Amino acid sequence: MEIVVCIKPVPEAETRLRVAPGGQTLDAEGVKFVLAGYDESALEQALLLKESVPGSKVHAVSYGPAPRTEEVLRAAIALGADLATWVEATAGSASDPILAAVALAGAIAAVPHDLVLCGKQAGDDEAGLVPSALGELLSVPDFGSVADLRWDPASSRFKFLRSTEAGGERWEAPTPCVIGLQQAWNDPRTAKLPSILKSRRALIAKRPLEPGAGGPHSEPEKFELPPPRTGARMIEYKTPEEAAQKLVRILREEAKVFP
Amino acid sequence: MPDFSLSAEQESLRDLARKFARTEMAPHAAECDRTPRFPEEIYRKAYDLGLMNLNVPAEYGGSGLGVLDQCLIVEELAHACGGMTTSVIANCLALEPILLGGSPEQKDRFLKPFCAEYQLASFCLTEPSGGSDAGGLQTRARREGDHYVLDGEKCFITNAPHASLYTVFATVDPNLRTKGITAFVVPRAAAGLTTGKDEEKMGHRASSTSTVRFEGVNVPVEDRLGEEGGGFSIAMRTLDQTRTPIGALATGIAQAALDHAAAYSLKRQTFGKPISEHQAIQIKLANMAQAVHAARLLTWHAAWTIDHGAKGTLESSIAKCFASDAALHVADEAIQTFGGYGYMKEYPVEKLLRDAKLTQIYEGANEIQRTVIARELLRQYA
Repeated sequence: MEIVVCIKPVPEAETRLRVAPGGQTLDAEGVKFVLAGYDESALEQALLLKESVPGSKVHAVSYGPAPRTEEVLRAAIALGADLATWVEATAGSASDPILAAVALAGAIAAVPHDLVLCGKQAGDDEAGLVPSALGELLSVPDFGSVADLRWDPASSRFKFLRSTEAGGERWEAPTPCVIGLQQAWNDPRTAKLPSILKSRRALIAKRPLEPGAGGPHSEPEKFELPPPRTGARMIEYKTPEEAAQKLVRILREEAKVFP
Repeated sequence: MPDFSLSAEQESLRDLARKFARTEMAPHAAECDRTPRFPEEIYRKAYDLGLMNLNVPAEYGGSGLGVLDQCLIVEELAHACGGMTTSVIANCLALEPILLGGSPEQKDRFLKPFCAEYQLASFCLTEPSGGSDAGGLQTRARREGDHYVLDGEKCFITNAPHASLYTVFATVDPNLRTKGITAFVVPRAAAGLTTGKDEEKMGHRASSTSTVRFEGVNVPVEDRLGEEGGGFSIAMRTLDQTRTPIGALATGIAQAALDHAAAYSLKRQTFGKPISEHQAIQIKLANMAQAVHAARLLTWHAAWTIDHGAKGTLESSIAKCFASDAALHVADEAIQTFGGYGYMKEYPVEKLLRDAKLTQIYEGANEIQRTVIARELLRQYA
């Protein structure tokens, strides 16, 4: 089975983000970009499927600027991806989900693919548009919020669970299809040291953005950091009764939570 | 200009070690220290990820890293727990004599099966009668035909109760001093080899330490490393290789102490404001940061020197000595920053002081490091 996994470099969760001057981009200086969140699960699921279906290959594809995109592709190779393709975005170019999907679809269409796995949404903007846009662009069925993804060799179909607000739905899908993954069978693995060393020497295929891909369909108007949290107010007290009385007074007279 | 930036490969090695340290080691550090407990499941995971036999070339099943790369990993591990780190890197110390003194046939025979699965090895040099005076060791090796018979006792041996392989230094004639010392590889199964009880230690309590006794242990001549009498040189060259990562281990402890102190200073309020706004604490943190920074740079420089083919005896002694002194000092200042809470076992900083102390003692006491530094230094003026 030929499995393509789409991954996106996103800022590490612990990063302190800053808005760049002008307010329309985030300052990438000093920010560490990683493979994270649902994309990490999508890669894990791809590797698990590869291990359970003999002769399978995992091909990681990413769209973005240097060096972060190359780094997440190397991370994917260290984890077990067999091939990697990088659709290069020029530095400073804006990226919106549809443009990313166009870039990824061009790369995917050029390689064998029985299954296209994505995280159900990216770890940073959480737009969640790429899987369905890929389905449209590749003219194949697409499904979001997928868990418990299995390959059924008897029917040559994928079987999986889609979580909905009401519970879950069982689905089947033919090959090829696009899956936006919510959860892999298990937690993402950690790359081993020898694989990390080997991944540094691995070949990454580079592709330019499709000539007709056009510009972004949307652009951020303004980034703003959330307002800093105001300090908590400590109530001075000697007895619990006094603390309760003071709290009730504040809630009633100042915060006016109740009359 | 020198370049202090790390390559993308080095960044990813450091990321791996950092992730392992934070997710697998740190959550168990306090418990393993308190109990104490030798967390073999953690060491097994470190092996599985390739974080254990760092210095062994890939052709023998190790990770084949240079000294700087090892240091990047060791610092991250030690940030989570100095004791666990000592046990994780003990194989590097124990296997280095085979790398330096072993024939190609011996490397094949010992290292390949050893590295193919999770196993621990111990470096047996120190004896009850002395550690720094390695030339005066008393464990005897008597040649009898095609084998040697080992008799004696080693002490303070890291991982000894759990090891399957021992590199042992013994003398064929104590009167020959350093020229009689010979290195051997001894498997755990050798008849007459016994390990003592786990020592109750001040720090590094997640690591296991015991004596190793040799009572008429037969060692075939083909398990001798190098020539008879060549063991002292193997031991000293081994320590030249492994001393610098101890600087990294100490730096990791120091960095952890600084991290705890700085974070605490922003939260803890006295006189109506966070203590980080008091100059007394700011000066403390600034001095701690200088010590950590200097320790790391000296360690990186020593590692870089060795990776570029030099012996680096002076540089590695300076790095180990400075970084371990810095670790003790920074841990001490971290406790002071925490005040009374810092003295309580409920808080993480008193452990750092206990762990830091050992780094001044093991792998060449700092008094020996200073002797070496002075010797190397004065040679330049003679």
